[in-house]
Amino acid sequence: MTVFDLFGDYTIRIVAAGAALVGLISGLLGPFAVLRRQSLLGATLSHAALPGICIGFLIAGSRDLPSLMAGALATGVLAALSVIVIVRRSRLKSDAALGIVLSLFFAAGIVLLTYVAQTDNASQGGLNSFLFGQAAATLRGDLLVLGAVAMVAGVLVLLFWKEMKLVTFDPAFAASQGLPVAGIEAAMTTMIALAVVAGLQMVGVVLMVSMIVAPAVAARQWATSLAGMVAIAVLMGMAGGVIGAVLSATGRGLSTGPLIVIVLSVIVLLSLALAPRRGLLWEAVARQRRRRTVPAQQVLTTLYHLAASHGRTDYPSEQGMIDTHHRMATAGLLVGMERSGLVRRVTHAPEATPHWQLTDHGRVEAENLLRARGFPDA
Amino acid sequence: MKRSLHEPGLALHVEDLTVTYRDRPALWDIDLNIPPGVMAAIVGPNGAGKSTLLKSVLGLLRPNAGHIRLFGQPYAEQRRRVGYVPQRSSVDWDFPTTALDTVTMGLYGQLGWFRRPGRAERARAVEALTLVGMQDLAARQISELSGGQQQRVFIARALVQEADIYFLDEPLAGVDAITERTIVDILKSLRDRGKTVIVVHHDLQTVRTYFDWLVLLNVRIVAQGPVTSVYTADNLRRTYGGQAVLIDETARIAAATDPVSGPEMAAAADEARQ
Repeated sequence: MTVFDLFGDYTIRIVAAGAALVGLISGLLGPFAVLRRQSLLGATLSHAALPGICIGFLIAGSRDLPSLMAGALATGVLAALSVIVIVRRSRLKSDAALGIVLSLFFAAGIVLLTYVAQTDNASQGGLNSFLFGQAAATLRGDLLVLGAVAMVAGVLVLLFWKEMKLVTFDPAFAASQGLPVAGIEAAMTTMIALAVVAGLQMVGVVLMVSMIVAPAVAARQWATSLAGMVAIAVLMGMAGGVIGAVLSATGRGLSTGPLIVIVLSVIVLLSLALAPRRGLLWEAVARQRRRRTVPAQQVLTTLYHLAASHGRTDYPSEQGMIDTHHRMATAGLLVGMERSGLVRRVTHAPEATPHWQLTDHGRVEAENLLRARGFPDA
Repeated sequence: MKRSLHEPGLALHVEDLTVTYRDRPALWDIDLNIPPGVMAAIVGPNGAGKSTLLKSVLGLLRPNAGHIRLFGQPYAEQRRRVGYVPQRSSVDWDFPTTALDTVTMGLYGQLGWFRRPGRAERARAVEALTLVGMQDLAARQISELSGGQQQRVFIARALVQEADIYFLDEPLAGVDAITERTIVDILKSLRDRGKTVIVVHHDLQTVRTYFDWLVLLNVRIVAQGPVTSVYTADNLRRTYGGQAVLIDETARIAAATDPVSGPEMAAAADEARQ
C-alpha cells in the first residue's frame, strides 16, 4: 500500500483530518500558554479532564462526544481554578500546586474509569482509550465538533489579538492601560482548556500537553513575531497531526496519538538544533568563530604596537617574535588574516624567516579595535 | 455626571492609603502630595513598599483604605495622561517581537478594542525610539538587546503615550553608565516641558543630582518635599534605620561635595556606626 492509497481510505481521511484540526487548535493556542509559562497548566488541565469524561459518560449514558467534552472541560477548569486558589491562599508555589492538583484529579479519573468499567454498560468500551487516545474512533460528526472549536478559537484570537498579545507579554502594563487583565487571562486559560479537551479523543489525557507545548516551542525557534510564531505553530501542529495519522495507518496496531507526539518531538529537536540565531548549531558556529577571532585580534594589535614602537607603519615583524609574544604558534592565524587583507607576508633580508606587515586596512582595523577597548589615542 | 475634582492642583495626591500583603501592612497610612512639573524620587530600603505604592497609584492593587487622585481625579479617569514603566525584570524578554513593536504596544490602550495599530501608530513609535536613541535598533528582536537597551525600549513605550505624568519603577537598576545618562536626560527634558516624573529609585548617591523632589518611604512616609530640604542625615537615618553602611557612604560623598550639610551627615554616619 502506498501513501497515496492511504489517502484514498475513508477512515484514514477522517483520522488525518481530525488530527490536522487538533494540530491547528493546539498550534493556535499553544503559543499563548508557552509564552505565559503555563505549559504545566496544560498538563494539569488534560489529566484533570479524565474524571470529567467519566462523569459525562455516566450522565449521558453513552459515549456521546459533546457530553464527554463538556465533562472534561468542567473538571479541567475546576482543576485550574483550584490551582489558582491554592497559590493565592497558601504558601505553596505554583509548580507544587499544579503537581498536587494534577495527581488528585487524575487519580479520581482512574477510580471513576474502573467504576464505569464494572457497571457492565455495553457502550463503555472505549472509555479507556481516552488515556492514550484512539484516533480510529474518530467519527465524521466529531470532525464537525473539532471544526467548530477551531472556528471559535480562530475568531476569538483574531478579534482580541492585540489584547491577548499585550496581556501575554506584560500583564501589569496591560492593566495600567485599562485592559481587564484578569478577564482576558481567564478567557485565554479557558481557550487552552478547550484546545486540550478537543484533542483528548485523538491523543489522550496523558500526552495531550505535548500537542499544546511542542508546536509552540518549536515555532518560537523560527519566529520573529507573535503572529509568525502562531502561524508556524499551526502549520507544525497540523503537519505533525497528519504525518502521525498516516504513519499509524502504515502498520497494524500503531497508535496514532503517541505517533503524532513523536513526530512533533522530532520537529522540536530539529528546531532546537537548527533554527537560525537561536539553534544549538548556530550558537556552536558562532562560538567557534569567536574562538578564532579573539586571538587574531590580539595578533593584529600586537603588530600595531610593534610598528608604533619602531616608528614606522610598515614595520615587518618577524614570525618568531609574534609567536614568542603570544606563547603560541600564530602562523595559522596570520595566514587567515592575510586572506582577509589585514596583513601582508614579506621577507626582511638578511633573515629568511617570514615577516609580517600590517596593510592599510589592517592598521585601520587595529585602531578601531583599540579604540573600542578604550585606548582613544590609537 | 463628572465627579467633582479633589485636589486638582496636585499631580499626585494620596491620602490615608493602607495596603496589605496577606496580613502584613506594606503601606501604612500614607499621605503624599506631589506637585506638577517636578522630577520626584521615591526612595527607601528593600520592602519599604515603593513598588506597592506605584502599583496602588496605577490601580494594579486594591488598597485596604485611602484614596488616590491624579490631577484631581481617580486613575481610571486619567489613564490617558499616565505613562508607566514597569521594572524591566517583570517581563520575559524572550518574547518574539521587535523593539518597534514593543513600543507600539504603548498605544494599544488608546486604540481601544478591535482596532489594529497602523502606519500612524508605527510612526509615533519610531519617534519615541528616536528620543531614546534606539532608532537604528527598531527592527532588532528584543531578546537580542542589552539590558540597557531593553530599559530604553520600555521608556520609549511610555513616551509614545504622550502622558502628563510618568511613573517609572527602578528604571536605572542594572543599566550601563551611558544608558543611565540617556535616561536621566530624557526624564529631565520631560520635566522641563512641564511633565511630572515620579521614579522609584534605589541609589541614594545620585538622588540630589538627578531629582528635585524626594519622598522617603519605609512603609510609612518618613519625609517628603523638595530634595534640598528632605535629603538630611536625620531623615535618611529614620528611613534606613540601622543600615549604617548606606548612610556612611552617602555621608562621605556629601562631606566631600557639600560643605553645608556634609559635616552634619558625616557626624550622623559616625553616630550610626556606634
